[in-house]
Amino acid sequence: MRQHTPVALLAALVSATAFAQDINVYSTTLAQSWKQDTPNFDKATLLPVTEFLGIDATKLGTDALSLHLYGWGRTDLKDQSSIGGKNSGDLTYGYLQYSFDRANAEIKAGRIVVNQGIGNEMVDGVSMRTDLRGGFTISAFGGQPVIFKNLSSLPQLQPAYQRDFIVGTRLGWRMAKLGEIGVSYLQDGTTAAKDLPIPEPVDYTRRQVGADITLAPAAFLDFSGRTVFDVAKHPDALPGQDRSNIAEHDYKATGKILDNLSVTGTYLQRNFYAYYAGTTLPSLFNQNEKGKFSSNGLSVSWSPLSILNLVADVRTTKRETYGNTTRAGLDGRLTFAAQHLVLGGGYHKVNAFKVQLVDSLTPAYSVSHSEIRGWAMYEKGNFSASLDAIRLHYGGAYGDPNLNHKAIESEIVGSAGYQIAKNFKLSGDLSFADTPLYKKQVMGLLRADFRFGFAGKGGK
Amino acid sequence: MFKKFALIAAGLGLGLLTACALVSPEASFARTHPQELSTGRPTCSECHGTERVKSTQKTFASLDHTTTFVKDHKVQATQDGATCASCHAQSFCSDCHGGKTAMLPSAKLGNRPDRISPHRTGYLTLHRIDGKVDPTGCFKCHGRANNEKCTACHK
Repeated sequence: MRQHTPVALLAALVSATAFAQDINVYSTTLAQSWKQDTPNFDKATLLPVTEFLGIDATKLGTDALSLHLYGWGRTDLKDQSSIGGKNSGDLTYGYLQYSFDRANAEIKAGRIVVNQGIGNEMVDGVSMRTDLRGGFTISAFGGQPVIFKNLSSLPQLQPAYQRDFIVGTRLGWRMAKLGEIGVSYLQDGTTAAKDLPIPEPVDYTRRQVGADITLAPAAFLDFSGRTVFDVAKHPDALPGQDRSNIAEHDYKATGKILDNLSVTGTYLQRNFYAYYAGTTLPSLFNQNEKGKFSSNGLSVSWSPLSILNLVADVRTTKRETYGNTTRAGLDGRLTFAAQHLVLGGGYHKVNAFKVQLVDSLTPAYSVSHSEIRGWAMYEKGNFSASLDAIRLHYGGAYGDPNLNHKAIESEIVGSAGYQIAKNFKLSGDLSFADTPLYKKQVMGLLRADFRFGFAGKGGK
Repeated sequence: MFKKFALIAAGLGLGLLTACALVSPEASFARTHPQELSTGRPTCSECHGTERVKSTQKTFASLDHTTTFVKDHKVQATQDGATCASCHAQSFCSDCHGGKTAMLPSAKLGNRPDRISPHRTGYLTLHRIDGKVDPTGCFKCHGRANNEKCTACHK
């Protein structure tokens, strides 16, 4: 039944476009071609054709009602390019939206993408929000979580078995000339694994409470972040097991020191047990893994000229079970508006100066590496072109079988396009990649962009 | 039975009336930006100065699309998507945050190197390293739903 939900939604929603006074249709068709030669896998010739289709239909009888659809479908003309068969597709979102003239109030119904407080979910259901008097805001959503076909074939181990209903809400308060604070709650699933008819050790339910904050008392200062708590019921901790119910602290502060100079600091801490609660992939995101992850970051953005932006950044990470790393580097971007040219590039280096041995049977390979990238983009009249090159160098890779003893990875992508008509553009990409896993790979891509209707976003 | 129904109906009616009275009378944020914006990343404070977004109490400077903002826009998106929606259609978000995705965003946007696309072609190699440095970074997209490809190897 669940598999038919997108089809039923699509059919119902597409028919609603008949009432629209203003329709935007956007389609991108991509034909790719490459030969895959991965060690330990069969060689393959791949020729997938993918269609992305979106519709924004507004003024459906009333100015406030609109319809939004977006999805994709793919078919493989030669060997299978992805898991799940030669034909695949998905309805990414499809919903009716009613936007009120007052209070930023809106209601959405259908397949929706929810971003509210701690909720970042795809849901077949309803969401709503409104501003209240006194600076308060309230939002809520509920419905059936969108689950992709995956995981075990055993019925009770399917996340769908427990993830039957998702609900979330956020209450915020906007402080005059200062910012906003909010609290939110999310529950995904109604029955814990231990309460199932046949109790299970893996729990796919999730209950979280979050608090978020944004403070911007002046244009030169901006502070934001959130803390998320895991409030689900779990089995008792094992002796010696160090647990926290704080899933995440994630904070950022930016100070604009001069008009062209700003400094940003970040702090992040995630405790594995609480953060991974409700994972549907316990083999990768192991709740019982020891410890936590934390990071501190600092970046400085400087624009010495109006056409030039430079960003220097450093980030240190600490992971109890693997060790510490530092990532540092510089990015730059040059915009020559008159020449319709943008240039960019950067260099970053990751140093894993303290890699720990997990156990005597598991070698700890270095994760140190460096990355250099340069790109250019040109667009004038009907013609556009871009070039993008990236190269990674893995330190100590000669001893690392995970990287097939190969130290260098590089890729270069060239693209050229031409706007054939006002609403139709054709472009093609050609990429050369040499990676430890794919060996040498040449990939071609043909892209056809079609746009119908121009009353869209970003002004008229 | 009728008495019970009447009580529930009265309660719901009163609740609705109270809720309506609590709703802000302020006009909603513009659904589309009134002026055409130039290409490239917008600096909102260039035109709006130290002004605040009336409905959110935040400064326009906090919406400036600097490199830092672009890399870390989640707070803005989760607190007040209406400001994003005045310029960006939902499909703009779906280029990267697509749930079940058809292809790597960097392949789809191969003609747009100016956009920060996660996971280049060779990412299958790099993910072995990123996963060791920070496994929590993968979790948001791949830990709960979009993990069909992960399960091919990580059973």
